[in-house]
Amino acid sequence: MNAAAPAIEVDSIVTRFGEQTVHDGVSFTVPRGQVVGVIGGSGSGKSVLVREIIGLLQPTSGRIRVLGTDVWSASEEEMAALRQRFGMMFQDGALFSSLTVEQNVATPLIEHARVPPHLLGPLVRLRIALAGLPTEAATKMPSELSGGMRKRAAIARALALEPEVLFLDEPTSGLDPITARAFDRLVRFLCDDLGLTVLLVTHDLDSLLGIVDRAIVLSYGKVIADGPVKEVCRVDDPWLQSYFHVRRMLEG
Amino acid sequence: MDTQHHFCRLEQREGRATLFLAGDWRLQQLAEIDAALAAAGMTALPLTLDGAGLTALDTAAALALLRRTAEGGAGIDGLANFNASHTRVIEAVRGRLLDTVSEVRPVHHGPLALIGMHVIDFRGLMEGHLSFFGRSAAALGDVAWRPRTLRLKELTAQFEQTCIKAIPVVVLVTFLIGVVLAYLFGMQAEKYGANILVVDAVAIGTCRELSPIIVAVIVAGRSGAAFTAQLGTMLLTEEIDAIRTLGLSPMQVLVIPRFVALVVALPLLVFVGDISGMAGAMTVANPLLDITPTTFIERVHAELSIDHVWVGLVKAAVFAAFIAIIGCRMGMTVSRDSRSIGINTTSTVVQCIVSVILLDAFFAILFQELGI
Repeated sequence: MNAAAPAIEVDSIVTRFGEQTVHDGVSFTVPRGQVVGVIGGSGSGKSVLVREIIGLLQPTSGRIRVLGTDVWSASEEEMAALRQRFGMMFQDGALFSSLTVEQNVATPLIEHARVPPHLLGPLVRLRIALAGLPTEAATKMPSELSGGMRKRAAIARALALEPEVLFLDEPTSGLDPITARAFDRLVRFLCDDLGLTVLLVTHDLDSLLGIVDRAIVLSYGKVIADGPVKEVCRVDDPWLQSYFHVRRMLEG
Repeated sequence: MDTQHHFCRLEQREGRATLFLAGDWRLQQLAEIDAALAAAGMTALPLTLDGAGLTALDTAAALALLRRTAEGGAGIDGLANFNASHTRVIEAVRGRLLDTVSEVRPVHHGPLALIGMHVIDFRGLMEGHLSFFGRSAAALGDVAWRPRTLRLKELTAQFEQTCIKAIPVVVLVTFLIGVVLAYLFGMQAEKYGANILVVDAVAIGTCRELSPIIVAVIVAGRSGAAFTAQLGTMLLTEEIDAIRTLGLSPMQVLVIPRFVALVVALPLLVFVGDISGMAGAMTVANPLLDITPTTFIERVHAELSIDHVWVGLVKAAVFAAFIAIIGCRMGMTVSRDSRSIGINTTSTVVQCIVSVILLDAFFAILFQELGI
């Protein structure tokens, strides 16, 4: 275990699906304890990138390290150990529909941690509370939850094993602005108080301006900007300018 | 070093207690940490936590710590020598400690209550089927009144799926059933030199009972399940809502084409099954029982009254109506998650097969009384 390694290192990633090139040399490093947002237009390969980082999809070439472990050359054991050190929230939660919220959160704990039986229940409910869900939600089935609650339940499950890195795929999409801002505060709390590193893919300008320490902008397969949001919005790029322009119009 | 002192050590002095924490307090060592806390023996004295020796603290370990101290009745008086991040973790967990207590006990029901609940569920199911049947009948009447509302394209697509594509499996299964029957009857009939009666038995048995039942079971598993899965998925993806919103009736667009297609398809498949079953018997009759195909066909001609065939076909149409209604209704009543599609599909197949057998028993009595 490499304690000093950065949370995420992405080194000249190239991804091709047949003729189509999604990433053409994407590189960046995420140090620990930051909230980093990846933005880009639809189809710019943001979600693909996250899937590559967590080891679900193999890039055509390039190297990806998470917490010092090379995701695509690690042995199955190393990868299994690594998987317990990061959590992922999929876009629509991807909760197991046959289990209650409580059982969903308990699944990784039962599979991977030796939790004393009398602490399992409290620990699961602590995760649910940390994710900002009301206690009553614990015994509900995923189908009985609203979209925002499903996302929180998914975060609770992603937090189960005390991950060091958390990946969020469009955490605020489909949420109303008030719920979305509450979600932003949750992400900030996870980073500031629990010390997690968060990489989130987003379209939401408000979360970008509100909580992200640093933004990485993908366009046509390349990183066209990387830095604090204030700097990123000054970068001279047509897509980026029209993206931030919407905001300026609204604010007059 | 023994684990207890490794993780924590309690010191009491002048009515105050201090719990010294040390080492890696992480989820992976939770069992040891909890045991160490239990062994340290909590007091009810005001307690100060000293975190000077802590190298890591996560929320799971903090939870174990706070629960153990609370169990001892100790009020945490203060945190000493904690670094900022560990303090934040402690505070984050402390703020939510009450949420972790509420133990929601699952309700357990006795056997009698379970039976009662199943009976009520069953009644609801039957009522639902009946009302769905009523609505289908009304929609069907509507279509009969205004034939232009029948969706011919969907109807033919369904017919292709449920009938044409089912022919190979129906032919294979009924052919083999015919072979088996000829063997079974043949062995008995040979003892009495009554070989030729095998033809009667196979012909009548296949047309009247076996082909309708076997084919209906195949279709229940093929098309009944498919209806439930298709309509269930359409419901989940809100396609059925979209159909309604566009001012169309899901009954007209989805249910009626499937219903009509299946009611036409099943008798046709049964007829295919009749022929194929007899062909199977004929194939083995020659080597096994010295009945040549010519003799076989002549005997069928002489002995198989057309009534037997009609009985099978009429039954098939009724089976088809039940399979279509059950399949469609179970599809339109999935709850909004992917799991219930599986549950409802299974339920459709079971309900269809059971109702086919029940109907068959009913028809056996009915035709007996009518003397057909």
